[in-house]
Amino acid sequence: MAPRPQKKLFSRRKSCRFCGDKELTINYKDVKTLRNFVSERGKIIPRRIVGTCATHQRQLCEAIKQARQIAFLPYSGSSQG
Amino acid sequence: MRRYETIVILRPNSGEEEINKVIETTTKIITDDKGSVIELNKWGMKKLAYLIKKETLGYYAYFDFASTPAAVSEIERKFRIDDVVLKYMTIKLAAAITEEGVTEAIAAVSAREASAAAEIEAAETDDKTEVKTDGKTEVKAEVKTEVKAEVKAEVKAEVKDEVKAEGTAVVSKETTTEAKKEA
Repeated sequence: MAPRPQKKLFSRRKSCRFCGDKELTINYKDVKTLRNFVSERGKIIPRRIVGTCATHQRQLCEAIKQARQIAFLPYSGSSQG
Repeated sequence: MRRYETIVILRPNSGEEEINKVIETTTKIITDDKGSVIELNKWGMKKLAYLIKKETLGYYAYFDFASTPAAVSEIERKFRIDDVVLKYMTIKLAAAITEEGVTEAIAAVSAREASAAAEIEAAETDDKTEVKTDGKTEVKAEVKTEVKAEVKAEVKAEVKDEVKAEGTAVVSKETTTEAKKEA
């Protein structure tokens, strides 16, 4: 097995969007921004993929769960059903 | 006093009276317990992300208030009894809020609403004045720009032709100057 040279080539440094943009706040009522951190199936996208920092991912996670409770976001599946 | 916010989803086919009744009862509970409503907002009909009691639509109402835990439990008890309420959620925003904080929050909310209303009004008035005063001139200006654009397009086309047929270059240049004069 050859070593994987592609991995280094394609890796790009991800940065936390909430740290970069101070005006962007995490709120469970702000569905538009939360949609960016949820997969098509309605799952929360993991930190290693979206690149948010630990603090913001924790806040985001809570906000998404609250939004789900009040039917802003789906628990599973797309918003259509 | 603690600061809470509550979102209630009401049945979409419920009438205006029933919706107002629910809102009134909740505000009454808050004020009876010496609390105060900071913001009350009817968000109106929204599509639900999933079915709640076999409903796809819901009427959202939003409360931001300062109150005690006892009042919140009473409000939620009422919601559970009421058939109009599909779902509700209360979130604690601050563990302690003083009366000064309440007045400040109310002022902030009213200021925000006023600015939003002013923006909408400004946009509307701007549109109206533009239409009224500059209506004729605008049309003229548009016509002019259109003519210019056409002329330019023609000129470009002619220039291309020039490159192809060098012999007719002089003639085309003359035509372009004429077109500019017309514009």
